[in-house]
Amino acid sequence: MNLVENIKMAIDSIMSNKMRSFLTMLGIIIGISSVISIVSLGVGGQNTITGEFEKIGVSTIRISVKTTEAETSDYITYKDIEQLKEKIDYIKYATPIKYQTGVASSEKKSKTAMVYGTNEDMIHIDNTEILYGRFFNRIEFEEGRAVAVIDETAARSFFGTSDAVGQTLNIGSSTSKKKATIVGVTKSQFEMFQNMADEEELPVVVYMPATFLDILYSKDSRISELYIMANSKENTEAAGILAKNMLMNRHGNRDRDVYKAENLMKQLDQINTVLGIFTAFIAAVAAISLLVGGVGVMNIMLVSVTERTREIGIRKAIGAKTSNIMFQFLTESVIISCIGGIIGLILGIAGAYLLGQLAGITPSVTPQIVIVSIAFSSAVGIFFGIYPARKAAKLDPIEALRYE
Amino acid sequence: MIKLENVKKVYTTGEISLTALKGISMEIKPGEFVSIMGPSGCGKSTLMNIMGCLDRMTSGKYTLNGRDISGLSDNELAEIRCREIGFVFQSFNLLPRMTVLENVELPMVYAGIPRKERRERALAALEKVDLGNRIRHRPNEISGGQKQRVAIARAIVNNPSIILADEPTGNLDTKVTKEIMKIIQKLNDDGTTVVLVTHEPDVAQYSKRIIHMLDGEIIDDKLVNDRKIF
Repeated sequence: MNLVENIKMAIDSIMSNKMRSFLTMLGIIIGISSVISIVSLGVGGQNTITGEFEKIGVSTIRISVKTTEAETSDYITYKDIEQLKEKIDYIKYATPIKYQTGVASSEKKSKTAMVYGTNEDMIHIDNTEILYGRFFNRIEFEEGRAVAVIDETAARSFFGTSDAVGQTLNIGSSTSKKKATIVGVTKSQFEMFQNMADEEELPVVVYMPATFLDILYSKDSRISELYIMANSKENTEAAGILAKNMLMNRHGNRDRDVYKAENLMKQLDQINTVLGIFTAFIAAVAAISLLVGGVGVMNIMLVSVTERTREIGIRKAIGAKTSNIMFQFLTESVIISCIGGIIGLILGIAGAYLLGQLAGITPSVTPQIVIVSIAFSSAVGIFFGIYPARKAAKLDPIEALRYE
Repeated sequence: MIKLENVKKVYTTGEISLTALKGISMEIKPGEFVSIMGPSGCGKSTLMNIMGCLDRMTSGKYTLNGRDISGLSDNELAEIRCREIGFVFQSFNLLPRMTVLENVELPMVYAGIPRKERRERALAALEKVDLGNRIRHRPNEISGGQKQRVAIARAIVNNPSIILADEPTGNLDTKVTKEIMKIIQKLNDDGTTVVLVTHEPDVAQYSKRIIHMLDGEIIDDKLVNDRKIF
């Protein structure tokens, strides 16, 4: 009695009652497909977020001044940043980050702008692709020139073209504005959200020399936030500690803990952990439906055993062993669950891509997901098939033959 | 071949126990053709089931082909049913979803015979019962007599030493009964031992020896003088 024979018999039996078999599979199909969609969307979401973070750079550290505890003399200066870069070998790039919400306008249009004041190192830390022109340079930073780099979305909405190099943008507040020349256009900053929102509703991102931002918004040159990028991933932690130390020495505030160094990858890990738990939780809820599907398989197999009592008696009379009958019914329940699993897998992947398209997430369908789901549905078939199969195998041949 | 010594069978349901066989002793030699007769409830079917290793006796000793059956496990009994015994039932007991050919092949599936040999042997067995042409039909597409021929082909396909037939002609008309008995007699002529349970004296006349039973006991056991032969 071999496997091929068993599978053939099982398929015959499944095909002889198509509607019932399909309805039995439905539970498994719904269970597997929902688990697959959820898991692949969850993993896809993690990948998207990881990708966004990796753009900023895995070896980036954000150093900030605790503004509630800091005195005026504690704030970071442009000189500090030059010194950090010069004296600490581990630091490859360092830039101040100044942020201001403002208004930007062209002849055509006026929009809310997220204005970032940085130095020329920002492009390396941010790791954003330059599509046209260039990022502003050292001289432009030192001299506080009126130049700006905008993203593609902004270029299109202000000038109707992606290549806005050489154009002039009025930037500032609603009451006072200054002209700035566009020297470069980067790839869109909000790619992740582009599918979700109307391009026109997204704020525009403007990079400019921090020195120009100081002039534009009449600010002093105090800096409360800076990004540094280490020369390698391994040196990141050390670079952060050294930078913090140096700042404390230069400002003579070792006694007070006013600087905070955060590794962005740590934040990423935290976000991913939360997202992972969330995904696992929803998947577990979906898995309950798989359990219900398994109970459905068991139920139908029990009905099938009762209906086929006489068949079992005949098979035993002509020489079927207990194990033969056992395997016959077990094969049947495993095949039902497996076919359900495969259909569920296909529907789950299709559903994940459909939902992913709406949410702007590329689902991640890994071979592991495929293998685990098939293995899991087989396991459901075995687990819920074993009781009915044993019941069939243990039937007394005489009584089974007498069954009408 | 078959040797029963003081075989008893008691059915117990709750407090009530019913003695179906009250100590049967008899012997059937190779090549015999025995009919077992008696009214309903006399224990003839119980005896048949015990001889066929489908049922277990309560006490006594049963030796089949020199082997003591009493202490064997379920799987060992299945093995004996598979290789040494062929069953023919009153209600044919074919599997409805399988074709004629598949029905005949089934005992060989359990005997672990390879596919190609199964096909050949099944066709040969169907040829023996004059049913070489309807092998692709399903049981509900053929007549009662044809169904019983299929059942006989299935019973002989593993070359058993004994055929046990429980009222094989009970559901068939006179003409078809004759055809079936002819086939069974032919099998016996070829050397297979046949044990037949029937309550029709006409049918019993085709056999060589008739055992009469009443209330779980053998009351008469004699050879057939005026045997009907085809």
